Parts: sequence; structure tokens; C-alpha cells
Amino acid sequence: MPTISEPTTPAASRPAPTFMRRALEDWRQYVIYAGFVLIFIFFSITLGEKGFLDPNNLLNIVRQTAMIAIMAVAMTFVLSCGEIDLSVGAVAGLASVITALAISAFGLIGGIVAGLLTGIVVGLVNGMLTTGVGIPSFLVTLAMMEIARGVAMWTSNTAAVPILDRTYNFYFGSGSLGAIPILLIWTLIAAIIGHVALRKTTFGRKVLATGGNENSARFTGIKTHNIKLQVLIISSVAAAIAGMLYAGRLHSGRFQLGEGDELSVIAAAVLGGTSLFGGFGSVVGSIVGALMIGLINNGLILMGLEFSQQLIARGVIIILAVMIARSRR
Amino acid sequence: MTGIVKAFGGVKAVEHVDFSVRKGEIHALLGQNGAGKSTVLKILCGVHKPDAGEIWINGVKLEEHTPEAARRLGIAMIFQEGSLIPTLTVAENIFLTREPRAAGGFLDDRTALKKAHGLLEKIGVELDPRRRVSNLSAGQRQLTEIAKALSQEASVLIMDEPTATLSTAEIDHLFAFLDRLKSSGMSIIYVSHRMEEIRRIAERVTILRDGRNVMTQSVAETPLDHIVEQIVGRRIGAFERRARANRNLGPEILRVSHLTGKPRPIDVSFTIRAGEIVGIAGLLGSGRSSLARSITGLQPVVEGEIRVREKAVKITSPPEALAAGIAMIPEDRLTQGLVLQHSVANNLSLPVINRLARYSFVRESEERALVQDFIQRLRVKTASPDLPIRSLSGGNQQKVVLAKWLAADPSLLILDEPTAGVDIGSKTEIVEIIRDLADQGKGVIVISSEPAELLAFSDRILIMSEGRIVREVASEEIESWAAGATDTGSRITAMEKGLQVAIQEKEHHAYDL
Repeated sequence: MPTISEPTTPAASRPAPTFMRRALEDWRQYVIYAGFVLIFIFFSITLGEKGFLDPNNLLNIVRQTAMIAIMAVAMTFVLSCGEIDLSVGAVAGLASVITALAISAFGLIGGIVAGLLTGIVVGLVNGMLTTGVGIPSFLVTLAMMEIARGVAMWTSNTAAVPILDRTYNFYFGSGSLGAIPILLIWTLIAAIIGHVALRKTTFGRKVLATGGNENSARFTGIKTHNIKLQVLIISSVAAAIAGMLYAGRLHSGRFQLGEGDELSVIAAAVLGGTSLFGGFGSVVGSIVGALMIGLINNGLILMGLEFSQQLIARGVIIILAVMIARSRR
Repeated sequence: MTGIVKAFGGVKAVEHVDFSVRKGEIHALLGQNGAGKSTVLKILCGVHKPDAGEIWINGVKLEEHTPEAARRLGIAMIFQEGSLIPTLTVAENIFLTREPRAAGGFLDDRTALKKAHGLLEKIGVELDPRRRVSNLSAGQRQLTEIAKALSQEASVLIMDEPTATLSTAEIDHLFAFLDRLKSSGMSIIYVSHRMEEIRRIAERVTILRDGRNVMTQSVAETPLDHIVEQIVGRRIGAFERRARANRNLGPEILRVSHLTGKPRPIDVSFTIRAGEIVGIAGLLGSGRSSLARSITGLQPVVEGEIRVREKAVKITSPPEALAAGIAMIPEDRLTQGLVLQHSVANNLSLPVINRLARYSFVRESEERALVQDFIQRLRVKTASPDLPIRSLSGGNQQKVVLAKWLAADPSLLILDEPTAGVDIGSKTEIVEIIRDLADQGKGVIVISSEPAELLAFSDRILIMSEGRIVREVASEEIESWAAGATDTGSRITAMEKGLQVAIQEKEHHAYDL
């Protein structure tokens, strides 16, 4: 038998992890905040005279990014568990139309219920096809994007559906409580619920585990299919709420609302430190990511750039975001 | 608590296995690759469902075969591939799905951290529970797995080759810890290929062979060579060692000197001549595959030199290796060797597609001819070369992989586990193909966990342990192991035993270093 020399603890030979070390391990989580501050300072200096720092302009940025931010909160969960949802923009458009139609037919409550139901139904279909049939969520939601847009065009005859209910328009987008726009309150509520759910509940932990290593998660006893189904429903419901807010803000439901939002939403989440490959997610990061996109859009407009140039800038942001996500190795 | 009885039966890989583990016992489960160990373990912990048979734990029958049910009855398994979520922290992994809750049902991370800290302290591990698992060493992960199992109040701990990826110091630490666990009443089922470990820590041993259990005995009362004999069994025919008729070794093809990679191999030197077959033996994690990967540029070389035909070469990628005349056939043919959806023909011609093409249009008639030639030469059983490769059996897939690289006409072939997951008939054919290749003047390196396979054709066998080549076995020595054996079966058994003992001896020395 071999003799055992003095027992050594494997960990003993390594230096105890310090705060610095852990900060270095997770530095990408903080990049977004530094970037946000830098861009804000940059615009404050260069665009200060053009009214960038005007409180109304700043609140406008919040209003314009509220829907993206709310959808990005839900997208954080979807990406964290290793899936993707490309249908959010189209679902927002569909929900705006359905809500507007239902309000004129059944009144305020009927409209809100119909809008939320739209999200639940689409999410259920997305989730069942992904987990039950086994089609990748990328393809399912890509197809759903077309279907939702088509249904929205069909039911509205491609025309805007006006919403005359003042209460609805006030609480879903147009109103403000004192100086605070109602959309800011919606964003804050989404952020708090999302952050607590991801960081402080078993559900959030299961989402991260499923995205981190699905096999291990299953061996540990997590019903990963259920988690994915729930996450896709959450995403669609958030998209429906965003659509209802668009409708309230414009006093009408339109099939075009939310067009192209899926890219902004995914970019916001990835910018905020959520991994496209699952396992990592940050709700606060996603909100800041959404605000950053809004900030850049706003700044570019104030600089006098055209819409086409804004699109180019947004594309560059997405590429930067993916580069950051990839350098994790 | 008197004991635990488990019985299985009916599953293809496993036929009527039954064994029992006592409270506070370390019970070793041994057997060769494919003997059914993994299947038995997966049934135990609820991943697979047995077709027949029963499992009893502490007098309670396991009614439902799911991971959750098995865990509820106190079975915890530490998988070979690991069951941790790399993106979560140590504490999060330990309490996954059983997180401590604060008022209102929210996660109580502070309590989780404190409990994780206490648990790790109890094990005697200095490890910050806030660290992410992906940043831990293999040993630290192993200990985290154990902490996770303990936090579930497991009464039976199953460990599948826990030391394969650990350093010697980490192994010592693990064993000291297992001893403590044992005396606190934990039952441990321990799977390993390292005989020396079994003798160090296990009380009893159960040996599986071809899906059946062949013996259960006390380790202290069973001599090592008897255990090896039971594991190997007696097999006949397929792997008869044949002295190769025309062993005219040609000039030196490959010379590796002081090759070192990170973390393996360590200071490896050897040469291969044309027409020579060199086997590389060693346990899982001994650095065999790393060596092959270092030679073919899949893994960076830290130090050392590779000479091909006496000319120093620097190889940093497989295409460069191929240009130098070295082809490697990887261990995992499904993910590394083949494009499964593509046809047999397309797979075969892929490495030489440039040679077959003119102005980037593939000349189909030449492709056909080449493909037909290989299908015939290697006896690939396929109705048509246009069928997708996944419709073929494992053995025939492997023949296509072989053919694929032969088409590139390398002067040195490195085969990593060429017959893994292949039925016995195809194994014999692949062994035959390897002999043919050497007869045609190619140098061949074969890495294998199956001693019988290596013994069937190797001119020399290099034994690796802990990243180093620790011993070289010449043809004469292999023959000498079989001296005295009369029939084919007992010759093979005797040689396999000889090689196993040689490998284990070296493992033994590795501990003393």
C-alpha cells in the first residue's frame, strides 16, 4: 500500500478569493453601467445646449423605452434559460389591435382581459411547440412572428383601431402622476418584479440552472420543460402588455406597433449582461440596456441624424453586445 | 438498519444483476467498459428504468424510477460528467431546488451561504461558496458534488470514477474524507478502474462482466490477480494475437521528444517507424488522448519537439498535421468524425474534396470510383453510398471514418478508441484493417481502453500514467505473459491479465511519487 504523505487540502494551495477577484470574474455585469454613464456624460457635454439635459427630454427617453424595457425584462428570463423569443414585437402589435377591438365591444375590463389573454395564448402555443414537439424556440417564434402580425392585420383590416376610453388611455401609456409619466411606473414595476423573481425566488434559480446546463438541471430534479414553457408565456404576456401600452399612448391599436422591437429587446438584454447561450441573466442590466439604446437613439436624433443612420447605429450596438457576450471564454 | 438489497434484471446492457451494500460500507463496483456498470448506476439513481427487478433502500422499496424518487430515499450520485450547473455558484449548486427560504417564500441567500460554508467546513474544504463552479478545479468540483449530496441527507452515495480527473494530493484528501463519511454510517458505491484505489478504501467488491455479476467478495481476502482475472474473463477468437508475418520496419516516421502540454502530456518521448503499430494503454485521464491531441495540433504544445521523417515540424492545427502526413481519427466519431446527416459518399470524400475537384467543381465520376473502392476494401455494409451515414451501424460508421482518412493517404495514423461502441463482428474487421494498414507501410498509433484490442496487433505498448509514459512493453514481453497457455482463449486471458497488472503496477508507483 502506498503511504499517504501529509494530507493537503486542494483549496489550501490557492489564495482565498478576494473581492477584486470576484469582481474580475463578473466584470461584464458592470460594463453596461460604466458604458451608460460614459454615454450620458458624452451627450451631456456635446448636446447640452440642444436640450439633452432638459427634464422633459429625459422623461421622453423613459417614455420611448418603457415598452422595450418591459419586454427586455421578460427576455432576460427567456435567454437565461437558453431559449429565445423573436415574436415579441409582433405580439405587441397583435395585442394592441385585440385590446382596441375588445374595448369598443366589451368595454374597459373586457379590453384588458382580451389583451392579456392574447399574450397567454401565444405564449402557450410557443411553449408547447418548443417543449412538447421539440422545435427550437428560434423557429417557433420566428413563425409566430409572421402569424401574429398576419392575425393583427386581418382583424384590423390593416387600419388603426381607435380607443376612446379615457381611463384606459390614461393608465396604459398617456397619463402621468404629477411629474412622473405612468410609463415610468410600469417600467419600475416590471423591473422590481423581474429582479426579485430572478434573484430571490426558486423559479429564477431554476431558470438559470436550466440555461446553465439542462441535463444537470434535469438530474437535479428540475422539470426543465415546465420552466421553458412558463418563461415563454411570461415573455408573450410582457409583449402583450407592451402592446397595450403602445395602444394607450397612441389612443389606438395598430398592427405596425412593435415592429422590429424583438431586435432592440434582445440587444438590450445582451447589452445588460444576459448570455445569449443561457445561464446568466440580469434584469437590472436589461433595463439599463434598454435605456442605453433609448439614450443613443435620442442623442442621435438631437444630433440631427436621420432614421436610416439610427438604424446603422443600432446595428453596431448589437454587434458590440454580442462581442462582449462572446469574450466570456 | 440492517442492509440494502437491490436487484435488477432484463435491461439489455444488464442481465439479472443483484448486489447489496451494507450500512457504513464502501463497496467497489468493477468491470470493463461495456460491462454494464454505468447502466446499473443509472438505474439506481433513477435516470433509467429497469425492465424487471427491484430496488430496496433501508427496507423501503423504490416504487417510482425517477431521479426525484431515488433522491427522496437517500440515493445521491456523483456523475462522471458532473451534475453541477457551471454558471451558478457553489452555494447555489449545493441547494439547487432545495434553497433555504426567508419569510414570504423568497430565497434566503445569506442562510444558504452560511449553511454551505458550514457544510464545506465539515468536509474540511477551504472553498468560498460564492465562487462560480466554472472557475473551480476538477477536485473542487468533485468536493462540491459531495457537499451537495450530503446536504440532501443521502444515505447511499454513488461515485463513478471520482478520481479520474484528480491530482494525487486531491485523491488523498478525497479518500481521507470518504473514510470519515463511512464511519458516520454512509454507504458508498465506488466505481473505478484503478485497482490500487479499490484496495485502499473498499471493503467488498462486486464484479460485472457482460452485464452479469460474476462475484461479490471481501477485498482483503481476494488477491489482485484474481480480481483482474474475474474482470477480464475468458474471451476467445476475435482478438487473437497474431505475430505479423512481414514485420519489416521501415524508416522512422515520427519522433516525439520531451513533448509537454498543459496539463498533459508531461515530457513524453517515443518514435514510430513505418509499418509499426504502437499501442498506448493507460487509465482514463492518464493523458493518452491529450498526447494524440498535442501531436495533431488540437492542443498547444508547451515544450518539446515533433519530427516527421527526421524533419522538425511545428503543427498547430489538424490541417497542418495532415499536410505533414499525420491523420488522427478521434475518439468521438459522432461529434468529431462524421457529418451524420450527409451521405456515406459525401463523408468519405470530404478530406480530399480539393483533390477531386477541378475549378472547384467536384468531378463526380472520380468521387464515385474512390468511394466504391473504399466501400469494398473496408467492407462497409451499406445498400448505397448515397444513404445518410446515420442509417449505418456503429461498426460501419467507424469503418467510414477510417476510410475517410485513408483517402487522404497519411503516412501516420493515430486512432483514439477505434472500436468503442462497436459490435464484436466489426471490431474484428477493424482490427484486421489496422493490421493491413501497417503491412502497407503506414505507422499506426492506437489508443485504447480495451487491453484485448491492443494486444491483438501492437508491436509495442506504451503505458501512460499521470501524463507520462511510465513503461514500454515489447512484443517479446507480451508473448512471455502467454507462455504456458495452450489454447487461444487462455492465451488472450493471460496476456490481458499481464497488461492489466502492468498498468495497475504503474498506477501504484504514481501514488508513491
